[in-house]
Amino acid sequence: MALLTVRNLTISLNPGNTLVRAIDFHVEPSETLAIVGESGSGKSLSLLAVLGLLPAEMQVQGEIVFNGMALHDFNAHQKRQIRGAQIGYISQDPLSNLHPLKSVGRQIEEAILAHQRVGRKALRHRVLALLEDVGIRDAARRYHDKPAKFSGGMRQRVMIAIAIALNPALIIADEPTTALDATVQASIIKLLQRLQKQHGCALVFISHNLRVVADIADRVVVMRHGNIVEQGEKQTLFHHPQQQYTRTLLQAGWHQHESSQRPVLTTPLLTVEAVSRSYPLPGYFWSRKRPTQVLNDISFTLHRGEILGLVGESGSGKTTLGKMIVGLDSPQSGTIDLAAKPWAGPGISRPGHQHPLRHAVQMVFQDPYSSLNPRRKVGDILAEPLQITARREQGKLLSASELQQAVFTLLTRVELSPELINRYPSQLSGGQRQRVVIARTLGMKPQIIVADEAVSALDITTQHRIIQLFSRLRAETGLSILFISHDMDVVAALCDRILVLEAGRIIEQGSPEQIFQRPQQAWTRRLLEAIPGTQLPFNEGGNYEPAIA
Amino acid sequence: MSQQLLSELPELATSSSRIFWCRLWRDKSARHGLIIVSLITLAALSASLVAYLLGHGETEQFRDIALSDMGIPIGPTAAFPFGADDNGRDVLVRTLYGVRVSLLVAVPATTLAMLIGLFVGLIGGYQGGKIDAVCQQLINLVLSFPFVVTALSLLALNQGGENGPHVSPSLVVIFVITFFSWGYFARLSRGLVLDLRQQDFIHAAKLMGVPSWRILLRDVIPAVLPTIGVFWAIQLPANIVAEATLSFLGVGIPAPNASLGNMIADVQRSAMYQVQPWFLATPALTLFFIVLGFNYLSSGLRNVLDPHLEYRQ
Repeated sequence: MALLTVRNLTISLNPGNTLVRAIDFHVEPSETLAIVGESGSGKSLSLLAVLGLLPAEMQVQGEIVFNGMALHDFNAHQKRQIRGAQIGYISQDPLSNLHPLKSVGRQIEEAILAHQRVGRKALRHRVLALLEDVGIRDAARRYHDKPAKFSGGMRQRVMIAIAIALNPALIIADEPTTALDATVQASIIKLLQRLQKQHGCALVFISHNLRVVADIADRVVVMRHGNIVEQGEKQTLFHHPQQQYTRTLLQAGWHQHESSQRPVLTTPLLTVEAVSRSYPLPGYFWSRKRPTQVLNDISFTLHRGEILGLVGESGSGKTTLGKMIVGLDSPQSGTIDLAAKPWAGPGISRPGHQHPLRHAVQMVFQDPYSSLNPRRKVGDILAEPLQITARREQGKLLSASELQQAVFTLLTRVELSPELINRYPSQLSGGQRQRVVIARTLGMKPQIIVADEAVSALDITTQHRIIQLFSRLRAETGLSILFISHDMDVVAALCDRILVLEAGRIIEQGSPEQIFQRPQQAWTRRLLEAIPGTQLPFNEGGNYEPAIA
Repeated sequence: MSQQLLSELPELATSSSRIFWCRLWRDKSARHGLIIVSLITLAALSASLVAYLLGHGETEQFRDIALSDMGIPIGPTAAFPFGADDNGRDVLVRTLYGVRVSLLVAVPATTLAMLIGLFVGLIGGYQGGKIDAVCQQLINLVLSFPFVVTALSLLALNQGGENGPHVSPSLVVIFVITFFSWGYFARLSRGLVLDLRQQDFIHAAKLMGVPSWRILLRDVIPAVLPTIGVFWAIQLPANIVAEATLSFLGVGIPAPNASLGNMIADVQRSAMYQVQPWFLATPALTLFFIVLGFNYLSSGLRNVLDPHLEYRQ
């Protein structure tokens, strides 16, 4: 008998606005069911309906039977008895789902005490065992630490500890690894797999990424626009997808390698020579501030027309390096030369708005939400760099009609419709925003674009399109790009050369083929292993090819 | 330049100010606030007209017709719609003039405080470092003065020579209120700027070589203004009360000119309100409605302008 059966589930917001349409699925005991779909496909809503956590204004119809109990008839109190005790829940954002002022130990205790009466000693014992179980080292000491002292991955482990605390028969994990680095993502997935085996519970894993799911799922449900497109055993679905949409989703999961023809690189454009940077560690004011070394003796060259990848985990110093190159931070020792002229170094002030090469280095940021002024329209945002460039090159501003033409050209270059110029950033999707940001940098006619995790906040299909855009722009304009990312896969798809950064040092560099086929360092191998879904059917070119049904 | 560019497009560019007013009107507490505040403004504007129609000046005394034989002020009649005070002056006319004084003092004082606070907050928050530290210390210093004591001593100093006060007392009241409220504006705007400075769109503007003053003008100030504007509406009723307090203590708007504060003080001094409550109730309730109206308005503005709602819709 199935552990969870969902029949004819319909969720609507106001009559006429149906978010989920009459879907059926079930979960067997101790299996892993993956629910995959783009954002807005209704995958999270369906499972929130199972948990009884939907906002009150949404109407739910249909049957939800869990362990022989008809959850759809339960009242709020009865649902509360089930939640946590028999169904555990892990959410996407471990940052906002832990109370910032309570120690992690307390928070796990609360999860247990909500359903059981346990003596203090036994309780502490259980929580310690749980913390160790989810791989938090030195659990006894960290018991009283607040969430702020934990990294994103560690917080997600605490969330998992809360979810498994009462040995539930079912765990629902809603995008549990999306907010995490590639390596951390891999370790969390391993942890979930181990715990599931150990406890024998069923797992529903919600994700937008079919590749992540490939490693963990037994069965897969593909959702789109509130409907189930396709569901089935993993092997069948991955190798013989029946629906075109599933195939598209599968293909989008694997980045096509863009730089099949690499340009010959001769002219160095940016030379980074023995750069180091340390920051004083923020401590209590009576304790001595010990500086942390963020970057240590970094040297490399970026050539004209090259796309150079910089890979590392968060905390490896890659963002600091990017900031130095664009001139938002300065190295403490070492020098950075741009076009054979000193650009940054100790004793050189940061390039201000008068600097003749200020336009030459521009940046695309990670967060497409905060990199555009929410109060200015797209046309206005793009007018600024165009006017700055016009003044620099021609000594005068563009006229209204010239400006309109130039804004249209910019939008077309990043494959956006000219109609968008009257939109505010909040009316654009993440991918469109990132294109506007790229257009803004192009308006400056830069020689180098530093892209700091420029695609990490986007879903996988959009990531792919932005990568294609970067590749095309390089081919058209001979731009150099420093592409910073934690995702080895994205970097390999785009870059001519890869630098691997670990704890502020470059530990390995080479072409993507060298790095992928003959990694020299253990750390690089770890980054490679973190790429999910390597067991999918691929052809020799490294591109995914599902069998045609 | 870009404005022109945008207007040429066929897009449905609904004017943002119209959307703003529509949203404001749809918000219940903003609507109540707007109604009360406009009534109050109308009342202040109509003071001279009402005085002319009734034939009672602001400071004119009508002891013979407005006081009973016992010397007790009369209640509402056709000639004195809200009764008269113990000197036989028309309460309605005086209250309307009092409202006018309240607004004439509190609005400029709050606006001035907003401008000073915004300036100091922007400079400190955006520049950081030593300039910021100096600004912060200055704000702390100002905020640590006790309001009433400082105001009393300043106004007492002003009452120097035989030719009356050196400077017009209402100017001094405006100055005192400004002095005590700009610090809050400065702290608020500094906090907002500190947050904004970390945003990537400010970084991007720096990288494009946009000069600092232009970043402040085009990116920072428009982002700060809505919040500061809401705070203006929050601070205004507090400043109206501050003016009333000073007038009540006898150092604000000098008698015989009417202000809500000194009207209430008059009532309290004569103890006549026990037999004739009208001339206490009128200024007191008016003060209450002014404060209520602006508080409604500010909380409505906050609902409409909440940057978090606008940010990620």
